[in-house]
Amino acid sequence: MKDMEQIEEMLNCYIDGELDERKSNEVKRLIDNDSQIHSLYDSLKRYKNLMDTVCQVPAPEGLCDNITAHLEREVLLADTQIYSLKAGRRHLMARRLMTAAAVIALAAVLSVVIFDIFVPKSSRQQLLSNALRKKTIKQVLYEKPFADTKQQEDMKIVPQNPYDVPLVAILALKTNNPIEVDWLVAKALTTTDLFNQTAAIDRQSGAVRYVINCNNQSLISLIQELSFIWPQCTDTKIDIGTEQAGKYITINNISARQVMEICKAENFGQRLRMANDLAIINKFTTPAIIDRLYAAVDIDYDLLVTQKPTLTSTEKTQIASQPPDNIKNATLTIIVISK
Amino acid sequence: MVKSIQEQLKNTDANISIDEAALVAQAKAGNMDSVERLILKYQQRVYNTILKLCGNNDDAAELTQDTFVRVIQNIKNFKGQSSFYTWLFRIAVNLTLNFCKKNSRVSFQPLQSEPDEELKHQLKDYLIDKTSPQPPQIAATKELHSLILKALEKLDADQRAVIVLRDIEQMNYTEIAETLDIEIGTVKSRIARGRKNLREILEAAIQ
Repeated sequence: MKDMEQIEEMLNCYIDGELDERKSNEVKRLIDNDSQIHSLYDSLKRYKNLMDTVCQVPAPEGLCDNITAHLEREVLLADTQIYSLKAGRRHLMARRLMTAAAVIALAAVLSVVIFDIFVPKSSRQQLLSNALRKKTIKQVLYEKPFADTKQQEDMKIVPQNPYDVPLVAILALKTNNPIEVDWLVAKALTTTDLFNQTAAIDRQSGAVRYVINCNNQSLISLIQELSFIWPQCTDTKIDIGTEQAGKYITINNISARQVMEICKAENFGQRLRMANDLAIINKFTTPAIIDRLYAAVDIDYDLLVTQKPTLTSTEKTQIASQPPDNIKNATLTIIVISK
Repeated sequence: MVKSIQEQLKNTDANISIDEAALVAQAKAGNMDSVERLILKYQQRVYNTILKLCGNNDDAAELTQDTFVRVIQNIKNFKGQSSFYTWLFRIAVNLTLNFCKKNSRVSFQPLQSEPDEELKHQLKDYLIDKTSPQPPQIAATKELHSLILKALEKLDADQRAVIVLRDIEQMNYTEIAETLDIEIGTVKSRIARGRKNLREILEAAIQ
């Protein structure tokens, strides 16, 4: 079968004149000697002749003109290609933008519709009112040169327990009548029921010393009773103990009222500030003037002394509660000295 | 201009005498006269080849026009490694075969459904009984032409291309191989199979 195909291929080449002389002679000999091959050759030759009779059709009229016109049109299009390209890009961009805008608008409308359908009316009104009430954020129109720093607040010294630092005071009363003054002190102690709480009474030549441990309230009552002694005294002085053991703030020429104010101090810190202030005031002012002022107008001590910054922090101030009577948070030493 | 060139070509038998290489060189240089001469020289052959491949006059005319436009646009890229003739026909055949593939059809001209009885008889005498020594006298008629085209239609594209280039365009095997960019052995086998198939188709048609 394959041989037949090869022979047919060879015969076709022979008919088409594609064989060289040697092969051509071989094929010719084969055709002459083999009747089957001869028949095949004859058949192929006839088909070849038949195909050769197919006539050529003339080309359409004006083909050359059409080609020229086509080329001219292409040249013109090439000239306008750049403009067309730019215009096309602009048009495409505009279409894209319009499409994007349309999509956004459609999405917005759909959102409103969905919101309207699915969100209950009451919730809607609440949402709207919240939105209207919402504060607008302040716009910063300039840049601050320095960042805002929180000012350090003046913290009021508040001990954890207002009575954890007891009042320690040494009141020295110098007098020309030591016996009378001594008697008056003893009487005051008895009146205020503090005689039993007097830890020590030390009588020496020219001086008597009383050490009283009591609570603040009792101490105030005692000072009130002792205020009658002051006219008998030529000189008065009080030492207020600080947080450092053995260190005192000395206030000269102190009046009974000033002592009372110190005793009334709400806490240790206030007491120390008062002591400092009074020490300065009394240094430059005679006690008589202050007492006259006290007597004339019932003013608060705080108006007379230098105002210190008070609590400005937002922390809640601990309310100073009165200590129970059995807590002895004051130690007063009274020394009566004969001049 | 075109008419004058056509007359000139006819009068001087320019199809043969004009040096093709010189025309191509002038066309590459942008000489439109040379381009027109090349078109006039090859237009009929290109048109006939395309017509036999695609089978439709209008498509053939359009494809011929496209072929020449493509040739003129790319003539600067023609390096002369093959002959201009095979280069031109390679473009024509490729365009036509691509067109046929894209359109998935080969729309041949409407033919008469059945060949005339006398024609059938004559053909049978010639091809099968082999009583007639020469092709029938009516072989050159339009009817036979249509019959052959119809038979070509039934061949596959590769075989149709080699048969058309060989039997219609009268190319030799080397030119066909160059045009279709295939080996000569392939050309030979395709021609043999194509003719065999064509013979079978025609014999079936006249039985």
